[in-house]
Amino acid sequence: MAERASDRVLRLLGMVAYLARHEGVRVDELARQFGVTPQQVVRDVETLWLTGTPGYLPYDLIDFDVTSLEEGVVRLTESRNMTRPLRLGAREGLALVAALRALQAALEGTLDDERAQVVSSALTKLSAATGELAGAVDVELAVGARPEVAAALTRALRLDRRLHLRYVDASDAVTERDVDPVRLVAEADRGYLLAWCRAADGERLFRVDRIVAAEVLDVPTELHPLSESSDRFAPGPDGELVTLHLASQGRWVAESSPVEDVRNLEDGSFEVDLRVVSPAWLRHLLTQVAGVVIDVRPAGLAVDVAQTARDALAAYGPLADAEAGRG
Amino acid sequence: MPSEIDAAERLLNLVIALVNTTGRMTKEQVRTSVAGYHEADGGEAFERMFERDKDTLRELGIPLVTVTDPRHGDDIGYRVDLDAYELAPLELTPAELGVLALAAQLWQDRALRTDTSRALTKLRAVGQGAGATDLLPGLAPRVRPGGGALEPLLDAVQARRAVRFTYRAAATGEVRERVVEPWQLLGRRGGWVLIGLDRSRGAARSFRLSRIEGAVRAVGPDDAFGPPAADELERARAQWQGGGPERIATLAVAPERAGALRARAVAAPADAAELHGDPAFAPLLVGRDVVHVTFRAGWELAEEVVGYGDAVLVLDPPDAREHAIALLRTAARLDEQPSDEQPSDEEPSDEQEVSRG
Repeated sequence: MAERASDRVLRLLGMVAYLARHEGVRVDELARQFGVTPQQVVRDVETLWLTGTPGYLPYDLIDFDVTSLEEGVVRLTESRNMTRPLRLGAREGLALVAALRALQAALEGTLDDERAQVVSSALTKLSAATGELAGAVDVELAVGARPEVAAALTRALRLDRRLHLRYVDASDAVTERDVDPVRLVAEADRGYLLAWCRAADGERLFRVDRIVAAEVLDVPTELHPLSESSDRFAPGPDGELVTLHLASQGRWVAESSPVEDVRNLEDGSFEVDLRVVSPAWLRHLLTQVAGVVIDVRPAGLAVDVAQTARDALAAYGPLADAEAGRG
Repeated sequence: MPSEIDAAERLLNLVIALVNTTGRMTKEQVRTSVAGYHEADGGEAFERMFERDKDTLRELGIPLVTVTDPRHGDDIGYRVDLDAYELAPLELTPAELGVLALAAQLWQDRALRTDTSRALTKLRAVGQGAGATDLLPGLAPRVRPGGGALEPLLDAVQARRAVRFTYRAAATGEVRERVVEPWQLLGRRGGWVLIGLDRSRGAARSFRLSRIEGAVRAVGPDDAFGPPAADELERARAQWQGGGPERIATLAVAPERAGALRARAVAAPADAAELHGDPAFAPLLVGRDVVHVTFRAGWELAEEVVGYGDAVLVLDPPDAREHAIALLRTAARLDEQPSDEQPSDEEPSDEQEVSRG
């Protein structure tokens, strides 16, 4: 994909400002600094060489030391007054400061002192430089793991080591398995560990709040082929198609579940289609939202949920009756 | 693509010219002297190109100012305001730059991804070395996309400008236009929320971005309202926070079940009631383990616990237990024939619906 001219201009300006601060920088170093290939750095230098102030005679142009460049070192000899780093736009500063704050809050207690210090100094410096107090946005991220589990996950990821997990799956069964961790995904709802499960010989997404124990093994991880959308919870087409007709108060269901389709109806109610892989998950959802359910298809699901609820009420015994009496 | 390369080169030449000009440059001076504009004739092609380039520079955060000179009538000149151009003094270590690159992944919306990627390019210029990526390897923070409403709302919050949009109320399904003074955007469990003053109601309100229908339009001038009072803002935010102080619940859990709850178990609170001797509770404890977990909102714990059916019962505190039993009661009627009745008014209460979104 061709790079947008605007993005390239920004990098060219950034390179001049960087080179004004650093006397002679190796091409590969400059490439790493700006996240591009060494070939791109050479092209960028060639473009900069052609630019300058009107007139465009030799002394009007941005210039580099030719001998150094032949040795693979970029040395700026004329900047045409472009040495200042460019300030951040209002939304740019806000977006970064808000993201950093969310990250800091989410990782609290899981980082060692040195790493926690880096996060906090980056935030302090950036807030000071942009004057952005991030009052406009407040993002809450949840990792949701117990501190010792989170610490084990981040350590295994840092050292590329295999993990042994005790994990409670959606049907409440405790499983033991060895996994090669790939990514820890922290979302507003909860955190997930994307890992290659050795028992299943496939990639799996684990809710970190259901990881009961995690042990970092003395075994390096292996590389596995991962699918592109692997870190999103999106049940495949093999799940059962379930349609819920809900009153408008249940709109959050459509907003927080992986729905296939939402149809708004005239009276403010709506229908959602879900692909359901885990019956336990659906039973839980329907028990929570029963008050706003108008209809469920297939109908057998409603019977199943209602029976489960009646069993639970029976287990409460007279306590359930007492609550009813009071209500 | 030569045209792409030409555009970057031309834009750069324009910036350098407008930074170095003594005073100002008129449009005509740009056309005749800045490299890259020569090929465009003096007519419409140049006009279009120059307008687009000005927009691009402003979008990148380059402070382009217009300067009129009384000696030249209404002939407008341009220059770059160098004081506004420069980033405040800042130096970032490679580790700090790495953390910023990690944080930047948070955003899923295209507009905000563009913002953060531009911000990072600018900050790389003041980094002491390439960003270190080994700080928190494998961590992928991210927030749900806010959709088309997020970008204009962010701008409006920052500019303190009112906005107008069409909103579908959750409680009633009613669709109505709102004019709001936006205070703050909250990224929360399950989605984005705007809090602000609803002008037609004259009171603070919360709006879920996912229920905004169509475009968000800014109305009226910048700085149209002051910041909300601290207590007013806190009240509006409160329902989107964790919900009350941390408490400890007592649960009766069937053997081998609810491993995730057991993993969270804490010690019994000092003032725990002796349930085994209580005739109301003793029968519920037969063949079950007593497990204590922390929670904040009673309804939230109840919603979690009912997912286990009869394997987990809430014993204490009463408010959480009542929430759980109320949920089960409603669910127990789920297989009754649908009637014309309105959905039960027992559950969920408005408060509950609001606090979870």
